[in-house]
Amino acid sequence: MLDFTEASLKKILTRYNVALEKAMTPEEAAEEIYPKDELIYPIAKAIFEGEEDDVIEGLQAAIDAGKDPIALIDDALMVGMGVVTRLYDEGIIFLPNVMMSADAMLEGIEFCKENSETAPVTKGTVVCHVAEGDVHDIGKNIVTALLRANGYNVVDLGRDVPVDEVLKAVAENNPIMVTGTALMTTTMYAFKEVNDKLLEKGYKIPFACGGGAVNQDFVSQFALGVYGEEAADAPKIADAIIAGTKDVATLRDKFHKH
Amino acid sequence: MAAKRYTSMAYASADEMTFGVSKYPVKAGLDLEIGAGYTIPEINYAPRPEAGSSKEKLVKEYERITTDIMSRMVQVGFPAVILETEHVQQMSNNPSWGAEVAHAQKTIMEEFHDEYGIKCALRHTIGDIRENRDFLQLRGDKYSVFLEAFEECAKAGADLLSVESMGGKEVFDYAVLRNDIAGMLYAIGCLGSIDMELIWSDISAIAKKTGTVSAGDTDCAQANTAMFIGGGLLDKNLAHTLAILARAISAPRSLVAYESGAVGPGKDCGYENVVVKAITGMPMTQEGKTSTCAHSDVMGNLIMQCCDCWSNESVEYHGEFGGTTVQCWSESLAYDCALMNTALETKNEKILRDLLMLSDRYRDPQAYVLAYDNAYRVGQAIVKDGDNIYLRAKNAAVECCNIVEEGAAGKLELSRFEAKALADAKASLEALPDDMDKFMDDCLTKYKSEVKVFLPENYGF
Repeated sequence: MLDFTEASLKKILTRYNVALEKAMTPEEAAEEIYPKDELIYPIAKAIFEGEEDDVIEGLQAAIDAGKDPIALIDDALMVGMGVVTRLYDEGIIFLPNVMMSADAMLEGIEFCKENSETAPVTKGTVVCHVAEGDVHDIGKNIVTALLRANGYNVVDLGRDVPVDEVLKAVAENNPIMVTGTALMTTTMYAFKEVNDKLLEKGYKIPFACGGGAVNQDFVSQFALGVYGEEAADAPKIADAIIAGTKDVATLRDKFHKH
Repeated sequence: MAAKRYTSMAYASADEMTFGVSKYPVKAGLDLEIGAGYTIPEINYAPRPEAGSSKEKLVKEYERITTDIMSRMVQVGFPAVILETEHVQQMSNNPSWGAEVAHAQKTIMEEFHDEYGIKCALRHTIGDIRENRDFLQLRGDKYSVFLEAFEECAKAGADLLSVESMGGKEVFDYAVLRNDIAGMLYAIGCLGSIDMELIWSDISAIAKKTGTVSAGDTDCAQANTAMFIGGGLLDKNLAHTLAILARAISAPRSLVAYESGAVGPGKDCGYENVVVKAITGMPMTQEGKTSTCAHSDVMGNLIMQCCDCWSNESVEYHGEFGGTTVQCWSESLAYDCALMNTALETKNEKILRDLLMLSDRYRDPQAYVLAYDNAYRVGQAIVKDGDNIYLRAKNAAVECCNIVEEGAAGKLELSRFEAKALADAKASLEALPDDMDKFMDDCLTKYKSEVKVFLPENYGF
């Protein structure tokens, strides 16, 4: 069987991921940015590690020490999740770490709600769905996890969602944006119908679309469409909207990559 | 029909395998013999988004696609072609739609065959429609519609029957996003294999009844999901060492189609097909560098090493400078095949095979394990406990870890993330029991509670 010498191999291939790897381990990088408060630190660390039981234990200790459960959502859980999303954005940790941390954070939020009579305030509501006719929902599940991890309330309509159901959810929840994912060319045509009905009813909110066969050219064809190449774009688009960029053309300028 | 498990390899050594030649060639369609000493382009396409709005529009779209491809093959002088129609959901949910499309396509292909003698066959890949909005419904009401779609298409003109089945996907989607190796093993190796045995016994019976070819399944829903999430070298969504573990585990799952009566050619997106070919000797379709219209991968040349048919995965139908997309991509595929066929005719096939393989061998752990010599080793690990669907999937995973570790000790570079993910996965595998019943019971309890959409009755539990 043919094989390379090391010298020949280097002329054929560069493993850029190995060449560019950060010097610090993820744990070392996280340690540098954890909050220093001795009650908050273990909660943030448990979020980073995706250890649900440790999150609850940390929250209980903080509540016992007099911290307000609802305030802990922003002051501890979101701070811990902030460490996770920052290191993910910087390419230091992988998506499964984010998903496990998001699971731990959501359990923590439930625990805080159970221990308080006040409802938490979120950054805003996003309605998420998979196009009618399409049952492939792993992309949507990543989008919803990342949105929740970034402090958004998500109305998850699931998969194979009829157009009218998306409209009904928009009417009921006053979202800052809608997201749609699809795998097939013929199912993504439903996005156009969602767009047209939103406009018909007077909702001029951004409609962020992405997924397998979905491309920027297609999404650009309808007035509310903003294309997201990666699931991680969804919370960034939402952040841009709540920061004041509600105009679809400006969002496209910012997020369309091609 | 009970599955006949493979407990030995079809090939005595990895070096026996090449492209264009399989131990058990398959006759199909209009004068085509697959795996009989030549490779065949297999072009796959998707209709434009608006074409799905009515049956008439859809049939018309496929007529255009078929005519375009057949014309281009004749214009440039290629002797053989396979067309693959992957159903859009409207066609499988309404079997008469799929049948009309198959009939329209086959009519055009017969005209070209009659006039020019071009050898050709039509594959229809039925959509796995066995679901409702909330759950997979693998054995529920949709199952009869699913089988009807196969039978109607076969009667209407499809020559090769395939599917990309979804069994196990609900647990897999949960597990892969949490680095959960036991969950991936349970989802693909156990749940996937159980579902495959059910459907491929029935699909193969339909093929026998209709005189068509039961051609195989891929683990697209799971292993390709892992590969797709894994992405390129700089993506941070899944370690590529985990993506190749999902792929290794997918081989014993895809093998079940052949154990239940399928004879190939296995479907294009089954990157595990090189392992399956080593075990079964059946012909396989593969995709790689000529499928960049659909997705990127890190083994564009290597995966051509042992293919019998060569596919572009899928391309949306529209215009390009060089013609319609299906014309451009079918021509590219056919030129690739002409090169492989020239190597075969001049007895240089092993040299070309090794050049294709070596150009990607060290590109990524996924490519390294799927290099034909290492893929053969994964096959050996599978047949060692071929009668036990859990143990053979676990063996495949363990052997995959060993191969990557050996590679990393030599010229295969791993990032620290990839190496850590591999070490974690290996530790998880070592902690698993050898007893299948215990593993199945433990997983049933765990995933029933953690995965809301997991319905054990889908698998006969």
